[in-house]
Amino acid sequence: MATHRSKALLILARIHFAGLGLQGSVSRVTYATSASANPSGRQGFPKRGRKDSYGTARKFRKEAEPRAVKMPVDQDWPTVCPVAIPFRATAIPLPVRMGYPVKGDVSPEKKGNLELVKIPNFLHLTPAAIKKHCEALKPFCTQWPSALDTDAKCDQLFPIKVESRDYVFAGPSVRTPKACVIHLRVKLSSLNLDEHARKKMVKLVGERYCQDTDVLTIKTDSCPLRQQNHDYAMYLLTVLYHESWKTEAWEAQKTVADMEEYGWENSPSQKNILETLVRMKVAGQGDGEEVREQLLGRTEVQRYKDSVTRLKNEGPSESSLLQYKEAVKKILSL
Amino acid sequence: MALHRLSLRLRPTATHVRSFYTSRVGQQQNTVAAEPETEPFSVFRTKEDDPAFHSEKHIGQYYNVPSSHIQTLFHHGLPWRYKQQVETFNEASFMVRQPALEVISDLKQLDPSKPVQRYIFYGLKGSGKTISMCHTLHYCYTQGWLVLHIPDAHIWVKNCKELLPSSYKSSRFDQPFEAAEWLHKFKITNERFLSKIKTKHRYIWTKREVTEEGRPLGELVDQGTTRVRSSSDVIGALMKELRLQSGQPGSDFKLVAAVDGVNALWGRTTLKKRDSSIVDLEELTLIYNLRKLMRNDWIGGAVITTLSQTGSLFTPISAYWPQDMLGEIGFDSMDPFIPISVPNYSEKEFESCYLYYLDRNWLQHPQSRTEEGKKEILFLCNRNPWTMEKMCCVL
Repeated sequence: MATHRSKALLILARIHFAGLGLQGSVSRVTYATSASANPSGRQGFPKRGRKDSYGTARKFRKEAEPRAVKMPVDQDWPTVCPVAIPFRATAIPLPVRMGYPVKGDVSPEKKGNLELVKIPNFLHLTPAAIKKHCEALKPFCTQWPSALDTDAKCDQLFPIKVESRDYVFAGPSVRTPKACVIHLRVKLSSLNLDEHARKKMVKLVGERYCQDTDVLTIKTDSCPLRQQNHDYAMYLLTVLYHESWKTEAWEAQKTVADMEEYGWENSPSQKNILETLVRMKVAGQGDGEEVREQLLGRTEVQRYKDSVTRLKNEGPSESSLLQYKEAVKKILSL
Repeated sequence: MALHRLSLRLRPTATHVRSFYTSRVGQQQNTVAAEPETEPFSVFRTKEDDPAFHSEKHIGQYYNVPSSHIQTLFHHGLPWRYKQQVETFNEASFMVRQPALEVISDLKQLDPSKPVQRYIFYGLKGSGKTISMCHTLHYCYTQGWLVLHIPDAHIWVKNCKELLPSSYKSSRFDQPFEAAEWLHKFKITNERFLSKIKTKHRYIWTKREVTEEGRPLGELVDQGTTRVRSSSDVIGALMKELRLQSGQPGSDFKLVAAVDGVNALWGRTTLKKRDSSIVDLEELTLIYNLRKLMRNDWIGGAVITTLSQTGSLFTPISAYWPQDMLGEIGFDSMDPFIPISVPNYSEKEFESCYLYYLDRNWLQHPQSRTEEGKKEILFLCNRNPWTMEKMCCVL
């Protein structure tokens, strides 16, 4: 209805003008156009007497200079932007561009750029702003204990480190399931374990243990609450510790394949070399315990034993193979 | 550049030779003056054809292997590509390299009364392990040793057309054709020993066929080549006889057991039994006997082997360390052994090889004869002998 009436009025207005026989420039009702330059000749000065469809005088204002241009360089940015704000091109004094480049040209500028508005920005978290936050929070904090001034002391007194993460989540509910995950890290050297217990512990935890850093990491995320996960992780650590100190009956059936490291005693390598040396009659005639002991006591045999152990434990490399070769040559030239 | 200076340095020795000749044969100066020129002095070749006299100063130089030796000793031992090269160039030359020299110098000081030492050539693919082993075998052959050469142990663990249950032990399997073929080649290589060595045991093959004690070894070998059914057991008997007799006070021969691709003995097979289960390596007669030969419980000889990834089953391409290729069991069986590393060509050896190809007119491409071309070849093949040979084939 309203539109009908406006159209009708417009038409009437037009006819009225035409009838008056006005020469010169035909008056055209200019509707609102884009931000490009105004039609030439009409610098925004109001046409006297022109009325819009509602009968009120429309004022055209010159497009003002964006505020960003007038901002001083050394202003206090946290006050300008105290909280997370959507990106406003006129209010942010950065000449950013965003979006896929126009062909033969660069990315579109920030003015009227929807891409910049869509993404989250962290302009409210500049270092200066964070410093202010920290200063504001300081009265509520307690002092760091002065006795714990080095990392080594912290590790020694607090060997168990528990890591938990907090998330800020915006969804149907503010809770995230990731927030209840707990990582418990402890160095095995800080636990009281003997050789057998240590090996058993490493076998029990499997992949959770890192050889290079000697750190056992237990990750718990099976319980719904963080507190529950924390208790469960501590419980697991306790159980592992106590179990690894126990020796079961079936552990006596441990075979060579289960061993973590290569041991030369009673290995085929030892047997071979002793047989060879006996055949070479190095220690004189006879074959018995004393001959064996005598052979094992020789430096060449010890050197051979070291080279074989190194080769098996560390894996092959030029230097270890060279060492093995030297040891074999020495021992076979006896 | 270095090559040019090297040839300048060597020139005085050539003229010295010339003057020596002229002083001895005074009147025939024309012919004598021509003599050093007909055999141009080359940096990459040496006239020393006897491996016994090769030393460090011959490293990087090629020496000629007489064709008679190729017919007998290397009847089946050379790599396939190298055999083709021999046919093309009409000559067989080995490059004298450090690994082979090391083993040869050890063999020169061998004490026949001590248990055998085991050598394993290892290295990257195509670095020259088989050729180094052939060089060492050539030395042994020229010194009159008995050469027991298995050119590729991998052939015995795959693609066997017929697998017979063994007549000797019911759980084992024979490979008659492979065994017969190998016996035939063994006969060609060691013809001279077959009548000299006598058997020490009595072997019963079937109800009617028996090899008595004291018969020449040739009879044993003939038994294997003619009666193909028992050829695998013949090989077992042959190895046993040679093992027992080598180095003993009565016999006058030394035995060198050479196996190319020794990692096949402790790897896996693709052979299947009648019920389609995979055959275990212990169940193959040939492999079982070869494993016994690889032990160091005999004296008076040497065991020279190489590891080979080419042709091996279920081994990753990048594996070349002895531990990886032999496996746990193989390593423990061969332990203690002397590992000999065969690296890629050194700079001098690369130069030698390049000059050799030039000399044989193998590098036809004009660009390859320039300095630039040489640098390109060096870069592309990274001094690996096999890669270089493959690359120069297309130039």
